[in-house]
Amino acid sequence: MTAIASGPVLGGLLRRSVLRLRRMPSVLVPALVMPLFFLVSYSGSFDGLTNVEGYGTDNIVNWMVAWSLMMAASFSGSGASGVIGTDIDTGFLDRLLMAPSDRWVVLAGPLLYSMVRAAISTTLVLIAAALLGADFPGGVLGLLSTYVGCAGMALAIGCLGSWVMLVMRDVQAQALVQLMIFGGTFLSIGQVPVDFMTGWLKVVARYNPVTFVLRLIRQGFLGPVAWDTTWPGLVALAGMTVLFGGLALRTLYRYES
Amino acid sequence: MGSPLPIEVRGLLRTFGDLTAVDGIDLIVEAGEVFGFLGPNGAGKSTTVRMLTTLLQPTAGIAKVAGYDVVADANKVRQSIGVALQDAAIDPLMTGTELLHLQAVLHGIKRRSVADRSAEMLERVGLTDAGDRRVGTYSGGMRRRLDLALSLIHRPTVLFLDEPTTGLDPTSRQAVWEEVRALNNDGTTVFLTTQYLEEADELAGRVAIIDGGKIVRDGTPGQLKRAVGAPTLRVDVDAAQVEIARAALTAFGDERPAKVNRVAIGLEDGAPVMTEVLRSLDAAGVVVHHLELDEPSLDDVFAEATGRRLEGASDAVADSPAR
Amino acid sequence: MTAVAAPDVGARDPAGPALAFRQTLSLSRRAVISTLRKPAAFVPGLFFPLLMAAVYSSQFDRVTATPGFPEVDSFLQFILPATILQGVAFGSTIGGVEMAQDIESGFFDRLTSAPVARPAIFLSRVAGSAAFAAVEALILIGVLTAFGARVSAGFGGVAAIVVISVFLAVALGGFGLAIAIRSGNAEVVQGIFPAIFALLFVSTAFFPPSLMKGWFRVIAEANPVSTVIDAMRHLVIVGWSTAEFGKAIAVLVAISAVSLSLAYSQYRHRVKA
Ligand SMILES: Nc1ncnc2c1ncn2[C@@H]1O[C@H](COP(=O)(O)OP(=O)(O)OP(=O)(O)O)[C@@H](O)[C@H]1O
Ligand SMILES: [Mg+2]
Repeated sequence: MTAIASGPVLGGLLRRSVLRLRRMPSVLVPALVMPLFFLVSYSGSFDGLTNVEGYGTDNIVNWMVAWSLMMAASFSGSGASGVIGTDIDTGFLDRLLMAPSDRWVVLAGPLLYSMVRAAISTTLVLIAAALLGADFPGGVLGLLSTYVGCAGMALAIGCLGSWVMLVMRDVQAQALVQLMIFGGTFLSIGQVPVDFMTGWLKVVARYNPVTFVLRLIRQGFLGPVAWDTTWPGLVALAGMTVLFGGLALRTLYRYES
Repeated sequence: MGSPLPIEVRGLLRTFGDLTAVDGIDLIVEAGEVFGFLGPNGAGKSTTVRMLTTLLQPTAGIAKVAGYDVVADANKVRQSIGVALQDAAIDPLMTGTELLHLQAVLHGIKRRSVADRSAEMLERVGLTDAGDRRVGTYSGGMRRRLDLALSLIHRPTVLFLDEPTTGLDPTSRQAVWEEVRALNNDGTTVFLTTQYLEEADELAGRVAIIDGGKIVRDGTPGQLKRAVGAPTLRVDVDAAQVEIARAALTAFGDERPAKVNRVAIGLEDGAPVMTEVLRSLDAAGVVVHHLELDEPSLDDVFAEATGRRLEGASDAVADSPAR
Repeated sequence: MTAVAAPDVGARDPAGPALAFRQTLSLSRRAVISTLRKPAAFVPGLFFPLLMAAVYSSQFDRVTATPGFPEVDSFLQFILPATILQGVAFGSTIGGVEMAQDIESGFFDRLTSAPVARPAIFLSRVAGSAAFAAVEALILIGVLTAFGARVSAGFGGVAAIVVISVFLAVALGGFGLAIAIRSGNAEVVQGIFPAIFALLFVSTAFFPPSLMKGWFRVIAEANPVSTVIDAMRHLVIVGWSTAEFGKAIAVLVAISAVSLSLAYSQYRHRVKA
């Protein structure tokens, strides 16, 4: 069915996105400033949380860094929807869709790009955390689960954002994506463990998929890696990616109608 | 009786950095006139209006409106003028009535007459039924009419209208024209800028043409047309024959700007020499597709003054099917 | 008969303080009306602080029992001042944004081409923002009280918080106005949003200073916003204190003096043009 091979097209699209990043590295800044600001201010402000019985760590940075990483990864993900939104606005997407290659490639390029961005921003946040005095008893496996969790989150959010863009067909919808990211990360175990919470938030945070991903990203900071805190995170990431990716693809394949 | 002139301008100049938007113009508008200020995009029309309406300070020169200096006596000027600026800027969240009330208060109209005056203005521009609707729901024409009502609420003696009909459909344009005429009949002096020659011809007793910040012509439309002199002869030919036709025609008068595949000249001796013109074209072997002889229009005045045709204006009536 | 003469002079009020006051009032009314008719512009600024209050009070309630935490009924009570401050601070940019929109659309030209007392156009914006801040503060206090947060200083305390909110809106709003009048661009004005956000987060708004990390506490306590927060918090969790109230107002008056004179000098510059 495919008139031309997808591989080279995918490579071309990825290269285009990465070129944008190389020529304008400043796009990384806004997506990093907020996570870093929260890492510093939350660690400084909420230090007293570690006095509470059962917080899980006596170094506040160990806890807050996961939230910051998660936010940075999510913003990297929304970079993908930014690319697609701009392409819709400029009409470049129409051109891509008219090309005789497989359509999923149109999505895959920006998604790969967002994972590259996530790797960069994860590294930068980790450096900041080290400077703030974070511990890392998790070793290599811990580091691996942090990177996998962040890249996976970028992918999942990239799918969500792309879907929103394709449905709304408007770059302005980027604000909606940011709002979803914020809501999703806010109503989770970003700041405190589930046991600390009361009422509706406890329920929401317990089942929020972001909570499972946070545990995956965070485990290396709290202790050795455990299967119990690993597989639920991987499942949550896979679930979100399949769900939002499927919706995005469906919308893309029906784009003209 | 020594009543002051509505508008008196000497050496008015305004620069923006390196750009000279208005380059030392002189103007006099007499009481009861409709004065047309004609020019292409960027000519300096709005900049002039903004200076005359105290919104912008002149870099040099003197401007008096209703006898008051626009710089020294700005507030006196503001009391005497009505202004409808180029883009009818109206807060879309307010209703027509609310805006009229606000405008009335801004002009110091006494509390007890505010409501009556607003209703009267709405009536005048035919918006009585829409008065309590938010302006955001108005059509372009309705906004323009409300804009006019707002600029009239304090019964100004001098009214400034900056491109009042740009972007309006023919019906709405007619409505605005009617209103301008009615106002003028009531004794209001009107200073009107426009890009439409037709509009200036229709409304203005006197026009000035501004181009690149300088006034290049001014007078009554009749005077200006006469000054252009000879009627215009336009001849349409094949591209290949343009040069031959030009050679043949320029023997009868100077060439004038025209669109492609057309040669236009000012026919010095008018209609009587047409037979000769045709003979000479025939002798040169020119095949004529279309030919017309036109008395000068304001458009010709403009073209003669600036060497260009106005955007949107055609170089012949035949080229512009009814708008 | 002179064709050019001041028309219907009798129907107009003479220029003077009385007319200037009337004009300021009308323009302020318009400022408030157009803000209230655009809920999309201010509802998020109210909703977001309330959501934060809900989330924090659910997450942090346990901390209130640890040593070093001030005596409070609940974390919700502790965070009430921060919620109001946040709501009012977010709302304080609206006046600037609307001013910029007026300039963009040309409505500002319409106002300045009328014989209005020059300060009226400026003052009405400030007055409009102040009135709006009072409304916001009352809404936020109302909601939080309904969920059980108590203002210890009673009605006097509530009134004092509203007054502080009004001064806060003027102090912060002044910077927004200055940027709006200078740039004439609503997007540029919205650019100060992150600065306000940062100013609030690096303060004692969300956590007691005694439980912060040392270095953070130093910065937070140097932030003038903390003085305002501490005063409001005293009214909420302890009771009336004229000294605290006075300190907050003094800080806000000082900031207002800076921001408003900045804005007014920009305004003078623009209307002269
Ligand atoms: N505030 C300003 N700053 C810089 N340049 C300006 C400003 N206002 C006008 N200009 C420039 O001055 C020149 C004259 O502009 P003006 O608006 O007076 O033209 P106009 O005749 O009204 O044109 P239009 O028909 O497009 O309304 C233009 O080149 C314009 O770019
Ligand atoms: Mg103009």
